[in-house]
Amino acid sequence: MHTRIGDYASRSREIIRGDLGVREAVTGATIAFDQKRLQGYAEVDADAWRRWAEGVKSHTLTHLDRYLTEAEARLEANGTEVHWAADAAEAREVVMSLAARHSVKSVVKGKSMVTEEIDLNPALEAAGIEVYETDLGEYILQLLGEEPSHILGPAIHKSLQQVQQLFADHLGSEPGGDPDTLARAARRVLRDAFIQSDMGITGGNFLVAETGTVALIENEGNIRLTTSLPRVHVAVVGIEKLVPCMADLAGFLQLTARAATGQPIGCFVSLVQGPAAHPDDDGPEEVHVVLVDNGRTNVLAHEHAWEALRCLRCGACLNACPVYRQTGGHAYGYVYSGPIGSVLDPGLLGLHEAMPLPFASSLCGACEDACPVRIPIPEMLLEWRREAQEEGLTPWKERAALKALASVATRPGLYRAAGRIGSRLGATGVARALPMLGEWAAERALPTPSGRTFRELWREGIE
Amino acid sequence: MSAGARERIMARVARATASRPGVPHPGALVTLPAEDAVDAFVKRFTISGGEVARADPERPPGEWLTGFLRGLEPQVMGVAVGPDVPPELRPGLPAVAAAHAGAGISMAWSAAADTGSLVLPSTGTRAVQLLPPVHVVWVPAARVFARLEDALRELEAELPAALGLHSGPSKSADIGRTVVTGVHGPGRCIAAFS
Ligand code: SF4
Repeated sequence: MHTRIGDYASRSREIIRGDLGVREAVTGATIAFDQKRLQGYAEVDADAWRRWAEGVKSHTLTHLDRYLTEAEARLEANGTEVHWAADAAEAREVVMSLAARHSVKSVVKGKSMVTEEIDLNPALEAAGIEVYETDLGEYILQLLGEEPSHILGPAIHKSLQQVQQLFADHLGSEPGGDPDTLARAARRVLRDAFIQSDMGITGGNFLVAETGTVALIENEGNIRLTTSLPRVHVAVVGIEKLVPCMADLAGFLQLTARAATGQPIGCFVSLVQGPAAHPDDDGPEEVHVVLVDNGRTNVLAHEHAWEALRCLRCGACLNACPVYRQTGGHAYGYVYSGPIGSVLDPGLLGLHEAMPLPFASSLCGACEDACPVRIPIPEMLLEWRREAQEEGLTPWKERAALKALASVATRPGLYRAAGRIGSRLGATGVARALPMLGEWAAERALPTPSGRTFRELWREGIE
Repeated sequence: MSAGARERIMARVARATASRPGVPHPGALVTLPAEDAVDAFVKRFTISGGEVARADPERPPGEWLTGFLRGLEPQVMGVAVGPDVPPELRPGLPAVAAAHAGAGISMAWSAAADTGSLVLPSTGTRAVQLLPPVHVVWVPAARVFARLEDALRELEAELPAALGLHSGPSKSADIGRTVVTGVHGPGRCIAAFS
């Protein structure tokens, strides 16, 4: 996917100074999501669940060849065709050749980050195929020609008034319609698309190795329809999405929903094992799974960054991030934005391409506290910063990023950052990784390196 | 080429993980099952916006369902009924194609209390489960598991081509952060106990 990461500083400045609407919408939505997550976590033993999830994902990633082999065998036994794609071009080629094989004229899609990553829609459209994004938020963005700005609520940066105008222009709906009326207008168009389309394309939240199950979580029902009505279902799945067995899946379905929206589970979960085989089953005749690398094995090989592959794409770190809350996802210039984007993109795309994202953070640690699989994002950011310095990618880009950041990061944020990093790495570590912060922190009588962070101590009431 | 891609990816995965110590699987996630699975299911399912109806024990369940559907607003005229719904649980209303039915009537394979989920096999059929605006699902009380994990593990050996877990009505907050129901799937999801 074409990236515009290099413009991060100017884009975030533009958003912060220029378009107040975006900032307000994103801040409001992310704070609401974050509160729901806190409620969702509070109902269970979230610490134990998160440690468990971290363990299962790390286990799977350190035995990935074994689980990929197992999943492939099981998928094929279920009658599903398995394809492999080392990069975006190969992934597009697989889908395009399937579309050609079935003379596909129209495609319905479920929300999927990986199909954004591989630039699938432009390729389908260039071949004269009609593409319908069927998630309501994605559909809005498709009409606008915009990219998603948030993993979960791709159109959270749009106001009701903007959608009213859009639907009046494109769907002829009454100006000023309420959300219900607008949703019904979209439903009418998309219902026809579901019934007419020959191919449904989705991503996959999880792939269960033992049973060959592609699991998809959602609230609208559009993914259920996408995987059920068209003749052919293609699931494009990153190789890191594996989990060993159904019992693991049961835990992850719940934890993902709680982290994302505080729900005990998504309203709809599709568990796809293969093509319809029973005479009563009205599902697809063919199911294809495309296993995509596209930089993931680079991340896997990295001494520190590999842990980012545990990511469930729940969006909790975006919602918790004080920097993301100010700009939304578009400033980041790539499909994976926010804290997870800042540690994953350098691994997927190469550090040079992803500059200055590792600097687009106040290191406050809220992302790690929110993350259901406990990805140590702040430490990873520091590691990427260190590598950037080693490779001579700083300082001018670093300066640009810090300048942009200065307008969003607050002093309490920096103080928390100093406390956290100071407690983990000690003062010299901080100074080496981020000279500016190191100097500033030194003046401030940091908590002594106790292994606990300032935030942890704060919660315990020790000051 | 797809075959070449597989070998390349697997080789890269093997190389990437070769020198990293394997992390052991942490075992099962311990969650506490509720004491009464049916009560817990009802509570969870209704919090998520699902509805629960209990058939009148004095009447045959199919007849009760007919009356129930006629009483809905808007009144259900035609229904689409899953092939696995037994005759005594079918309403006495005209059968129509799922795309035009006022309600779809399904049979749950099982249910999970901790997530408030109905487990629906693809043979049910999918059109019946997804296209009508109202979805009524018969749930045998004895088939309500305390935990989703138990419900899924029971199926592990004999999985159908696809399963749907339905845990409430179709909803979205993508427009102006206001929750709307019935976006793509059924706007009402009703668990019926006989
Ligand atoms: S890094 Fe963690 S919190 Fe962020 S999207 Fe991934 S799983 Fe969710």
